[in-house]
Amino acid sequence: MPVPTIAEPAATATPKPQGQPAQKSMTKAERRELQEKQRAAKAALKGQPTQQKESSQGKQGGSSIAGQTKAKAPSTPSKKSFTGDIQGSKASTSKDLSGAPGEDMPPKQLSHGLRIFSHFGQPKPVGHTVKGDIHPAIIRLGLLYSDFKICGANARCIAMLTAFKQVIQDYTTPSHSTLSRHLMTHLSPQITHLVSARPMSVTMGNAIRELKLEISGIDIDVIEQDAKELLYTKIDNYIRDRIIIADEVIQELAGKKIKDGDVILTYAKSSVVEKVLLEAQEEGKKFSVIVVDSKPLLEGKVLLRSLTSGPNPIPCTYALLPALPSLLTQVTMVLVGAHALFSNGAVYSRAGTAMIAMMAKTNSVPVVVCCETYKFSDGVMVDGFTRNELAPLSVTQKITKLQDVKPTLNLDNLNPLYDLTPPTYITAVVTEVGLIPPSSISSIPLALGKASL
Amino acid sequence: MPPFDIHAAFHRILADAQISAPLAAIFALTELIQNSDAGTMFELVKALNDGAEALTRQATNPISINAGCELFIAFVTLFPHDSANFTDLKKELIRQGQNYAAEALTYRKKIAELAFGFIKDGSVILTHSYSRVVMQTLLLAHKRKRISVFVTEARPRGLGIKTAEELTAAGVPSTVILDSAVAYVMDKVDFVLVGSEAVVESGGLVNAVGSNQIAIIARAANKPFYALAESYKFHRLFPLSQYDLPSHNSKILSFPRPLPVNLPSTINSLTKQPSSDSSTSDSSHPDPISPPRITQEQISENNPDVDYTRPDLISLVFSDVGSLTPEGVSQYLVGMFAG
Repeated sequence: MPVPTIAEPAATATPKPQGQPAQKSMTKAERRELQEKQRAAKAALKGQPTQQKESSQGKQGGSSIAGQTKAKAPSTPSKKSFTGDIQGSKASTSKDLSGAPGEDMPPKQLSHGLRIFSHFGQPKPVGHTVKGDIHPAIIRLGLLYSDFKICGANARCIAMLTAFKQVIQDYTTPSHSTLSRHLMTHLSPQITHLVSARPMSVTMGNAIRELKLEISGIDIDVIEQDAKELLYTKIDNYIRDRIIIADEVIQELAGKKIKDGDVILTYAKSSVVEKVLLEAQEEGKKFSVIVVDSKPLLEGKVLLRSLTSGPNPIPCTYALLPALPSLLTQVTMVLVGAHALFSNGAVYSRAGTAMIAMMAKTNSVPVVVCCETYKFSDGVMVDGFTRNELAPLSVTQKITKLQDVKPTLNLDNLNPLYDLTPPTYITAVVTEVGLIPPSSISSIPLALGKASL
Repeated sequence: MPPFDIHAAFHRILADAQISAPLAAIFALTELIQNSDAGTMFELVKALNDGAEALTRQATNPISINAGCELFIAFVTLFPHDSANFTDLKKELIRQGQNYAAEALTYRKKIAELAFGFIKDGSVILTHSYSRVVMQTLLLAHKRKRISVFVTEARPRGLGIKTAEELTAAGVPSTVILDSAVAYVMDKVDFVLVGSEAVVESGGLVNAVGSNQIAIIARAANKPFYALAESYKFHRLFPLSQYDLPSHNSKILSFPRPLPVNLPSTINSLTKQPSSDSSTSDSSHPDPISPPRITQEQISENNPDVDYTRPDLISLVFSDVGSLTPEGVSQYLVGMFAG
């Protein structure tokens, strides 16, 4: 992947008059040279986008995301559509949309019926507008996000931090500024781009906050390369300590709660729950799993495959959400993952989790949520309506193959991705600091001695 | 020097009526440090862990001992050891351990004073089994207020009778009620006051079996359910259900092997006929469907010693760190061990 060479043409691609700080990602020499060139060719650049720029853009970005672009618009040549996107010109964007009608409907039409849900993350056409100086790794990631190729709070956070490492690698501090002050202004448009691809998850927000803190804490006298190395280590440590190791501890703690003869019910797919179950099976525990799933994403199928396909398969039952009441009577524990945890103890997780938890509570089955502490949010949420995200039609159609249910003027599809489980329905939250009742979640950040998570 | 027997030490300390199991465990571990030849912190913590394991393995009720052991080991590991000399550190640890245990003996007085404020003149109190801290609280209340106490028999050990005897000796009006009469008596009661084996991380309570049903009945009758617990009984444990307790084993609630329906006469003659049955029925004729005799020992064998009370059934937990709600208990525990 030609990532490191991208910085220069990407910068060239953005004409100065648009007010974009194009020189950010270049070395000083390159920048000076470019400034000279731009000053001379300013008028020309304004008038018509240079051919050379277009072709170079297509080459580097196109190769990395050709797969997605093809999948989205098979009628349009991938290279052509991508160059159109990069330019951000309205004409080419609309052309691209018209080239693939029905794949993504225009937001205007969608908002007709979903007026009261308009504050939810509006599914956008897949990363078609690239504003400003966006690193190719980020553009690629944005497409993966919006296509749900990378899905799940942990996976998204790890992918984002890894991409940021590339961005930092290709970043050069401008001469009049310092890394600790300038790098964040360089990263913010990248973040904005990711958010435009798919609304930001709490995990990403927490990681970004931590990264900002690290960047601002760098001494201005540190050599740039050393500062970058420091940031790589910090990012790597964050991924390792808060996600990977945390998961291992959670595996151990939650595994202890699985006993011989248990029937564990889980919903959709959580990477942590998957690891817990596989680990418990590895330890030789005799238990069975009920995977409950639901449209539109049907993520449970993926979990089912990984639980049953290994050398040591777990006896599983697969069922859809309506079958829940008849299955719950034999369940000994409900084990689910979380997208985020709020300080009132409410769990924000895949839509349907709240229903599972409420049902389990009425059947007095313990509900255990596996959640790393980096998923904790300082905020308070009281229902899943104030904040949510809608599954884009393109993704849901691909998975459920509901081609016939197309939105019309009188019919709209509403697929919220998340819901909120009130703390009263949760028995325990398994974190890397132990099993904790949801009512005491707010004391965790204090106990960890952290001002912010 | 003979190897230090932590068990003997534990039982010697426990013989003192004022010392409860977790405290005795702390004392025993302190003695273990005294007798240990560990040269490094790592060795010492390992020795402590081994000692704690030896204690819990042989104990009839591992939960409360575990609470004490965990507290002490956490204290040792987190103890700031800047002194270069390890022997000095060991001496310091021993001193601290003994100081703590000595101070811990005053906790019951503190708790009694805290709980005293919640006891109104003329209160009718229901308590369960025998608990030193409940006794102290009731005797303190009796000095200044008029109280009367219902106490459950608390089978199989029948410790409730001991409570009633001590209370009667002190002049407190008290009546022993059957464990099965709790619902009958509940409407006459102002509040329920129980001790604890351990207070767990969920904010729930592990106590002599029967506490859970008392809590459920108290909730149904809208009576407050108070628990008394010294802070060394706070335990980092999160039972999800009754069967998730460390004290649960496969023997508890197990079904006996069913006898064959048609007993051959040879086996039938081996199983001794209950005398009461044989006197009423025709003794010369062996009764093929006579019920097998069930002894008290068999009953207690298949029954749990302790049960788990959910936090939402508990009104308040009085401890030496204050009067806590169950949520407060779990927050305190998180802070104590995660810090």
